[in-house]
Amino acid sequence: MTKVVILDGDGKTLSALIGPTGPEHRRLANKVMADALARANLAFSEISYVVATGYGRINVPFADRQITELTCHAKGIASLFPAVRTAIDIGGQDAKGLKIRNGKLVDFVMNDRCAAGTGRFLDVLVGTLGLRIDELGEISLKATQKLPISSVCTVFAQMEIMACLSEGTPLPDIVAGLHDAIANRVVKMIKKLKIEPDVVFTGGVAKNIGVVNALQETLGLNVSVPAEPLLTGALGAALLGRELALKALAEGKPVHEKELRLDEPTFFKVK
Amino acid sequence: MSEEKKKKKAMNRLKSMYPLRANIDQAYERSVEATKAGKPTAWSMVNWWEADPILKAMDIEIVYPENFGAVCAAMGKAQKYLDRADAEGFPTHMCGYARNGIGYTAEMTELGHIPPDAPMGGMPKPILLLASGALCDARIKWFQSLGRYLDAPVWAVELPHPGVEESQLPGVREKSIQFMVKELKELVSFLERLTGRKMDWAKLEEIADDLIEINRIWYEINEFRKVRPCPMHSRDFWSCMNASLYPAGDTKVSLKLYRDMYDEVKDRAANKIGAVENEKYRMVFGELPPWHALKIFDDLAERGWNFVVESWAYHAPKPIDYSKISDPLERIATQTYQWLTGYFPDALKEKEYMGYFAYPYLEWARTYQCDGGLFHPLLTCRTATNHLVLAQDRLLNKLHVPSLVAEGDIVDLKLFDYADTMRKAVVLEEMMDHYKQVRQEKGFEW
Repeated sequence: MTKVVILDGDGKTLSALIGPTGPEHRRLANKVMADALARANLAFSEISYVVATGYGRINVPFADRQITELTCHAKGIASLFPAVRTAIDIGGQDAKGLKIRNGKLVDFVMNDRCAAGTGRFLDVLVGTLGLRIDELGEISLKATQKLPISSVCTVFAQMEIMACLSEGTPLPDIVAGLHDAIANRVVKMIKKLKIEPDVVFTGGVAKNIGVVNALQETLGLNVSVPAEPLLTGALGAALLGRELALKALAEGKPVHEKELRLDEPTFFKVK
Repeated sequence: MSEEKKKKKAMNRLKSMYPLRANIDQAYERSVEATKAGKPTAWSMVNWWEADPILKAMDIEIVYPENFGAVCAAMGKAQKYLDRADAEGFPTHMCGYARNGIGYTAEMTELGHIPPDAPMGGMPKPILLLASGALCDARIKWFQSLGRYLDAPVWAVELPHPGVEESQLPGVREKSIQFMVKELKELVSFLERLTGRKMDWAKLEEIADDLIEINRIWYEINEFRKVRPCPMHSRDFWSCMNASLYPAGDTKVSLKLYRDMYDEVKDRAANKIGAVENEKYRMVFGELPPWHALKIFDDLAERGWNFVVESWAYHAPKPIDYSKISDPLERIATQTYQWLTGYFPDALKEKEYMGYFAYPYLEWARTYQCDGGLFHPLLTCRTATNHLVLAQDRLLNKLHVPSLVAEGDIVDLKLFDYADTMRKAVVLEEMMDHYKQVRQEKGFEW
């Protein structure tokens, strides 16, 4: 997904948008930005500063600056939950643990090499279950027991699920088992950060109440989820952009180091 | 010339590195020629000077399968040998050096001669496999396997590994060194029986002294890396360490070339010539690098990362006075023991009991004023992995120096994720900027 958050000078949200990200996403950042501007009834020339973040941040030619998604997430989450010390972000491609102190990222851990423990794990397995991704959370609440499912490998988990379906295991028990598998894997990974409350959970998977419950149970701690858990990174980017623009103004320096135009990246064009 | 070729490289390699590296590389050619001429060659593992001087003094050529693994990986030639080891039934979670060496040996044994496409001319069939008990127990099993393929004897030289506190107890040092001297005497007797040659004690004296001097100069060269900007990058360290560590190549030639390097690094330090243009982050590297992906250091140099120091295990020992030790075997043993325990007294002062692996990172991050660490735990090696988690924790909590762990393997490129490491490196930069402020607020010097 491509997300945009536009803030005013006081930090109030003027526009927040979550758009689809397809194979053409690298060409489309300017279009998503245009949609967000239209919603806020703003022209691009009225934007003081643009921070791009996330995997596609290098494909945003109209950004003043690129900042990593971890720093932006930390900023965005801390603005919503000032007491946060540990954040867990599970998205479609990766899972991250963030150690946050006074609103700043001080340590992090991310999955590598394997998508088990990320949203992709659920994406792949809903097909086997014949369900939609947004149904999983509610279905898991009906479970009478949690089926132990491998969290090591998505393909192994798929085979286990097929075997369980053949044996007539109820769907809620399988789904609850999947949520447990994700929670176990992610908690094991982020334990390195010495988990401390308050814990905040973000990313697309945070919309799944089943995974939220599984995380709380595994951690033995209460887990807070923002109203819109997909937007914390974009919110953090906007907050950092606002800070940078205000700092430049306070120091009497030019806000922009280059002229910004709402164009698509030129490096994809065939000469 | 393309724009890319015209672009100046961010990393400024030492000119004196090239002849030193060539001297190391020539060891392979020399061993092949020696074998053709009917002279003995041994395969040896790194033993931190404990045993190689004995072989050199007896005019036995030495090649190093660990170094050969690094060479194969760096030249993109390792996969064939890794696949062969896999086909021989060795597990893929075994040490990359071992798998490469076994694959090479299996192929050589099958062909009956050195594989024609072997890097550096390959390693000739040895009369002996010289193993070492230093640091890694799995290496001995590797050489035992090689011994079966090659029908060659395996001799293991042991090394005492006292703990940080135990090493300071009365008599431990003396008994440890005497134990090593006994090991070396037994090795000499064995080699005399195996080759029918007598030990040349005068030559051994000379080689032992050369190695002590090589290590002293190498230590001094690395001391210059404490200045800003750091004049020598880890890439140059790794390219040249083998003339000291193994010690590959002719020791007289190595001595001269290390002296040349000393002059160049000293000159760079005096004239503030950095190994990386615009040094922004001074880095410590943990463990051996991914030899198959050394380009990552060029990419990081472009971002201002200068690797100013690296793992203790491959560095020279802290210099001490050896002049009062008359027995060359005892001199050799003392140097090895000094390498192993030289950092222990300081580690003990700081209550860092796991000592020799993790403690030097603390001392060096302080004295080399590092902004961050890049740690490369080897998924196939316990010895090179378990201390890095502790080192990472100590650096962050004692010195406010953050680090990044990028798992991988020295030889097997499938176990290293280049793109992911670069992605996380950018996050580490943001953390290094943050912790620089923290250190300043807390009154640290850098």
